[in-house]
Amino acid sequence: MKRLAPALCVALSLAGCASDVARTPARFVPGADQQSAVLRIREPASLTLPTGYARPIKRGSVWRFVGAVPHGDVFQPVGDVYTIVGANAHEAYLVLASGLVVGFYLPGEAAFAPLSDKVRLITE
Amino acid sequence: MQTARLFVIGVFALLAGCAATGVKYTEMKASVPALKPGEGRIYFYRSASMVGAAIQPEIKLNGVTVGSSVPGGFFFVDRPAGNYEASAATEVERKLTFTLATGETKYVRTYPSFGVTVGRINFELLNAAVAEAQLAPLSHTAPTPSH
Repeated sequence: MKRLAPALCVALSLAGCASDVARTPARFVPGADQQSAVLRIREPASLTLPTGYARPIKRGSVWRFVGAVPHGDVFQPVGDVYTIVGANAHEAYLVLASGLVVGFYLPGEAAFAPLSDKVRLITE
Repeated sequence: MQTARLFVIGVFALLAGCAATGVKYTEMKASVPALKPGEGRIYFYRSASMVGAAIQPEIKLNGVTVGSSVPGGFFFVDRPAGNYEASAATEVERKLTFTLATGETKYVRTYPSFGVTVGRINFELLNAAVAEAQLAPLSHTAPTPSH
């Protein structure tokens, strides 16, 4: 037990030091109603932020086009909520450019959080 | 041995006193008032657990106290559609940002975790199906009146 004590202290310390999500302000332009494109995810995917935090995209989840930011088109989950987490939690929508997920739009902050690697979603 | 047993019983009794004891969500659900035009609803809740039961910080919404994170408790507030930041502070402050649309209901779970010296309360945004199931056994705690 004495050997475990230092490791436990380090683990507890690190648990309190999660990095916050890097983000920049982003101007959101709502989409017109007729542009309500929908993505239905066929294969699950994992999206990783620069902090190393990974977030899954569930098979069968549905995302609706709601507008755009300078980084790409914005898709909101349908019938669900999606969040990304660092030191704090943020409601998040997907941002896609040229068919690739490039990051998240944080509607509660009007901000964009980039992914470390762009990810292609396989949709129906 | 007898002393240790009494101590454990005492601790459990103390923690049990920290839990919410109001009307259950299932009993209250039917009588919850309808939303006013232009507003949405935000539920805050916390599962009943002895873990971290003594940590019950205030919950703030855009800097204004709306209630507390109480084990086994829930409350809701109605607010105009817009962007919100929920926060709770112990040794550190934890936040959740989200947007609330007209007529929408958001569900925010709070849960304790442990830092170096004191626990902290974290936030999680959940969908209605998951949250409604988790809310079912919880008891209402009055929100702090808005001014």
